[in-house]
Amino acid sequence: MKVTVERAALLKSLGHVHRVVERRNTIPILANVLIRAEGSKLSFKATDLDLEITETIAAEVAPGGSTTVPAHMFHEIVRKLPEGTQVVLESSGDRTMLALRAGRSRFTLQTLPESDFPDLAAGEMTHSFKVGAADLKRLIDKTQFAISTEETRYYLNGIYLHAAGSGKAQTLRAVATDGHRLAQVELPLPKGAAGMPGIIVPRKTVSEVQRLIEDNDADVAIDLSQGKIRFAIGDVVLTSKLIDGTFPDYSRVIPSGNDKELVVDKKEFEQAVDRVSTVSSERGRAVKLSLSSGRLLLTVTNPDSGSATEELEVEYAAEPLDIGFNSRYLLDIASQIESETAILRLADPGSPTLIEDKDAKGTLYVLMPMRV
Amino acid sequence: MPVRQLSEATVNRIAAGEVVERPASVVKELTENALDAGATKIEILTDGGGRRLIRVTDDGDGMTGADLTLAVDRHATSKLNDDDLLDIRTLGFRGEALPSIGSVAHLSITTRHNSEPHAWSIAVDGGEKSELKPAALGAGTRVEVRDLFYATPARLKFLKSDRTEGENIRETIRRLAMSRPDVAFTLAGEERAPITWAAALPGAPGRLARLADILGHEFRANAVEVRGERNGIAVEGFAALPTHTRANALGQYLFVNGRPVRDKLLIGVVRGAYADYLPRDRHPIVALFVTLDPREVDVNVHPAKAEVRFRDPALVRAVLITSLQQALVREGQRAATSGGSATIAAFRPATTTRPGWDWRRSPAYPPLSTHGNAALGFAEAAQAAFDVGGPSADARVAVAEATADLIDNPLGAARAQVHETYIVAQTRDGIVIVDQHAAHERIVYERMKAALEKAGVARQILLIPEIVELDEAAVERVLARADELSRYGLAIEPFGPGAVAVRETPSMLGHIDARALIRDLSEHIAEWDEALPLERRLMHVASTMACHGSVRAGRRLKPEEMNALLREMEATPNSGQCNHGRPTYVELKLSDIESLFGRR
Ligand SMILES: Nc1ncnc2c1ncn2[C@@H]1O[C@H](COP(=O)(O)OP(=O)(O)OP(=O)(O)O)[C@@H](O)[C@H]1O
Ligand SMILES: [Mg+2]
Repeated sequence: MKVTVERAALLKSLGHVHRVVERRNTIPILANVLIRAEGSKLSFKATDLDLEITETIAAEVAPGGSTTVPAHMFHEIVRKLPEGTQVVLESSGDRTMLALRAGRSRFTLQTLPESDFPDLAAGEMTHSFKVGAADLKRLIDKTQFAISTEETRYYLNGIYLHAAGSGKAQTLRAVATDGHRLAQVELPLPKGAAGMPGIIVPRKTVSEVQRLIEDNDADVAIDLSQGKIRFAIGDVVLTSKLIDGTFPDYSRVIPSGNDKELVVDKKEFEQAVDRVSTVSSERGRAVKLSLSSGRLLLTVTNPDSGSATEELEVEYAAEPLDIGFNSRYLLDIASQIESETAILRLADPGSPTLIEDKDAKGTLYVLMPMRV
Repeated sequence: MPVRQLSEATVNRIAAGEVVERPASVVKELTENALDAGATKIEILTDGGGRRLIRVTDDGDGMTGADLTLAVDRHATSKLNDDDLLDIRTLGFRGEALPSIGSVAHLSITTRHNSEPHAWSIAVDGGEKSELKPAALGAGTRVEVRDLFYATPARLKFLKSDRTEGENIRETIRRLAMSRPDVAFTLAGEERAPITWAAALPGAPGRLARLADILGHEFRANAVEVRGERNGIAVEGFAALPTHTRANALGQYLFVNGRPVRDKLLIGVVRGAYADYLPRDRHPIVALFVTLDPREVDVNVHPAKAEVRFRDPALVRAVLITSLQQALVREGQRAATSGGSATIAAFRPATTTRPGWDWRRSPAYPPLSTHGNAALGFAEAAQAAFDVGGPSADARVAVAEATADLIDNPLGAARAQVHETYIVAQTRDGIVIVDQHAAHERIVYERMKAALEKAGVARQILLIPEIVELDEAAVERVLARADELSRYGLAIEPFGPGAVAVRETPSMLGHIDARALIRDLSEHIAEWDEALPLERRLMHVASTMACHGSVRAGRRLKPEEMNALLREMEATPNSGQCNHGRPTYVELKLSDIESLFGRR
C-alpha cells in the first residue's frame, strides 16, 4: 500500500476518527485505526466496540491495501507536521510496519493485522430519515446537559429519541433526565421516521455527533433499528449501539396543573442567580426564590461564608411562595433559553417546576426543587 | 424406649458440656471463683495446655468444711441472694462450675476458712464425690483439675494443640487480669517462664499500668483516658490514639460490671467513635469498662457468661460512643508518640553510616506509626533518598523569630518551612515538625463538619423517585430509621412490602447510586444497629472538599502564616491527625535530640 495525501485533509479526518478510540484499552487492536486505500480513496475506521466511525477522503493511491496503526500516535504525528506538507504512507514489504514521510520527517509505525479489526455489524436498519444539521444540533444541545452520568441507572445515560404525538402534529422528540431535572425538545417528525422505535442514544455518541455537525451544515441521514443507529454526516459515518433499556415514562413527571406563573427576563434572572450563588458553598448550592406580587427575591445563605440577596422585578401575580433550587441546575437551564423571556410555572416547594422558553417552540424543562 | 429420669452423673455431664468447653473455660471458672472469694493474689498453673493439669491457688476467704461438701453439688452457690437473678454482683451465680468440672475430670479442692481450725479437702472423680478430709493449708483455696475430659473422650477429640489451648488460657487470664488491676496474677505453665502481674494501684493510673502490662507499653504511651457517665451508666477505660492501630479488631476489650464480655456492640461503638479518624481497615486498641446497675443487664444469657444483654443497648452504645469521642477530641492534639520515637529510632543507623546527610531531605517519615513498624520502613526506604545532592531546604531561620510567648504554645514558634511542605517549630523543650497540608486539611474538615451539624443537610427532591427493592426485613429496618436518615438528607418512604421509594437525597452527594446506598444502609443497620454509611459518605465528601480547599504541600508559607496555622491547630479538635488517620505533626523532645548526638 502506498498513499499520498494532503496533511490538512488527513489531519481533519484523523481529528474526527481518533476521538472514538479510548485512551486506555485492554484489547490492543482497539487502540488502532484501520486504514484502507482503494482507487483514489483513503478511508479510516476506529471503534470502541459500541461506537464506530469511518471517514473517507480523496488521496493518490498506488497500490491499494490496508493496515492498522495506533490511532492517537498517528494523529499526534500528523498534527505536528508542518502545514501544507504532503504525507506519504507506505507499508513495509512484510506489512508489519507503516512508513510515514512528510518533508524531512520519517516515521515508522508498528501495525497490527487489519483482519483482527472488529466490525460493528450494523445489521438491518428499519427506519431511515433526514434531519437538517441545525435541527439535530438543537435536539442535542438543549437536552445534553440533563443526561445522567450515574451508571446504575444506565437507561438515563443518553438521549431518548422517539416519535411523539399523533397525526399531523407528530414530532421527533428528544428527552434527557438525570432524575433531578428533565429537558425536552421536539421537531416536526421527518419523513421516514413515523413508527420508529423509541431509542436511547448513548452520551458518547451524542457528543461525537455534536462535534461532527459543528463543521457541517448539510442534512444528516439517520438510519436506525431497535439496537443501532447510524449517522451519515458528510464524509463521516458514525454507527453506534443503542442503550438497551427502557426509558422511564417521563410524561408523568411533566406537571400540567402548575398555576403560579413567574415570567422573568432571562438574562437578568441568569445573572442574578449567578451573582448570589457566588457565596454558596460547595456543599449546598441552594438558592431560595421568594415570590410575592411583582417581585422575586433570590437568597443564598452559606453558614461558612455569608449570604447574598438580590431582588428582581418580575411578572408574578399568584400568592407568595418560597421555593429552593440548586443554583447550578437553574443556571444550566437558563443558559438553554433562547428568547429574552423565561416562564417558570410553579406549584409548591415540593413539586416539579416547569420552565418554558417563551419564543422557542418545542422546548421545555422540568426542575425539581430542593428542600433547604 | 421408656421415659426415665437421667442419672445425676449424666445430667452433670450434659451441663458440663455447656459450661466447660475447653481448658480455658475451666481456668475461667476457677479464677472467677477466686475473684469472687475476695482473693488479692491468684496463681494459675497449667500443664499440657490445661489438659493434664490446671491448678488455681488463691488467698481468698476459703470455705468451711460444710460449705465445701455443698459447693461441689449442682446448683449450690453462696452467691445468689434470695434467688434474685436480676441482681447479680458476682462473677459466679449458678453453682454449676465446680460440679460440671468434677463430672468430666479429677477435681480436688483444698480450702481453709478462718473459722476452721484447719483446712479441708475433697475430691470429685467423674462425678463421684469423696469423703471430706482434713488437710494442711494456711489460708485460701487451691483447686486442682487433672486429666480434663477423661470422662468424655468425645470432647477430648475436639481440643486443639496444647499450644493453642495454652494461648486460649492466657487470653482468658489476660481479660480477667485487665478487669481487676488490684489483684496480682501469676500464670505459670510448662510452656513458658511464669508471668506475674503485680497488684496495681486503684483508679485510672493502676488500670493503665495493668493494661500496659498486658497490651504493651506502646499502648500506654498512646492511650487516652475514657471517662463518662449518663443515666447511671458509667464508662471508664483507655483507648488508643487513632495513629496507633492494628489491622484487626482483636485488641478491643469490653467489660461489663467487671466481667469480660464479647459483644459486637463494641465494634460498632469503636467504628462510630473513630469514624472521622480511621480508614475502615484499621482498628484501634481499646479497653472499656462499663459499670451499671446489675438489674440493667442480663448476664444469664450465655452458658459461659461470655455475652450479656443490656436492657437498653442504645443507651449503652450512646454513652460509650460519646465518652470515646470526647476522649479523642480532648486528646486530639496529640499525635502518636510512636511517631516521634520512630523518627528518633530511624535517625540512629543513618547518623553513623552517613555522616553527611541532611535529615530534612528525607521524604520518608510521614507514614510513621500508622503502619506499625514505621521505623523500619523509614530506615530502609529513606536510605536511597539520603544520597541526593546537597541540602536544598529553604530554611529561613532568620525571618521567623522565636519570641518567648510563641515558644510557650504547645506547638511552639514556627522557625522555618522546609521543602515547602513541613513547618519546623521550636517549643520549650523540643521541636515540632508539621505536615502543613495534612494539618490544614484537618482544620478545614473540622470546620465543615461543624457547619454541617449546625446548618443541616440540604436535600434535592427527585423528579423520578428511585424504587429500591429489598427483602421485607430490610425494608422494615431502613424504614425504622427513616427519621434519622432524613436528618442526613435522605427521605425514604414505604413502597409496597418489598421496596422503598427514595424521594430526596443529600444534595452535596450529587447524583448518587441510591440503590447501593440503601442496601449498604440496611446491611449496616442489621449488623451494627446504626446508620453510619450515610453519615460516613457525607463526611467523606466533606473531607474530600476539605482536601481540595487546604493549603497544599509545596506552597511557601510566610512566618506569620505558619504561626497562624500552628495556633489554629491548637484550637482545633483532633488536629493531631489528618482525616486519614496519619499524624499531622511529630514532636522531638530536646532530650531525644540530645541523645541523637550522644549528649545523654
Ligand atoms: N476459690 C474459692 N474460694 C472460696 N469459695 C469458693 C471458691 N470456689 C468456689 N467456692 C464456693 O463454691 C460455690 C460453688 O462454686 P461454683 O463455681 O460451682 O458456683 P458459683 O461460682 O456460685 O456459680 P457459677 O456456676 O456461675 O460459677 C461458690 O458459690 C462459692 O461459695
Ligand atoms: Mg463459679
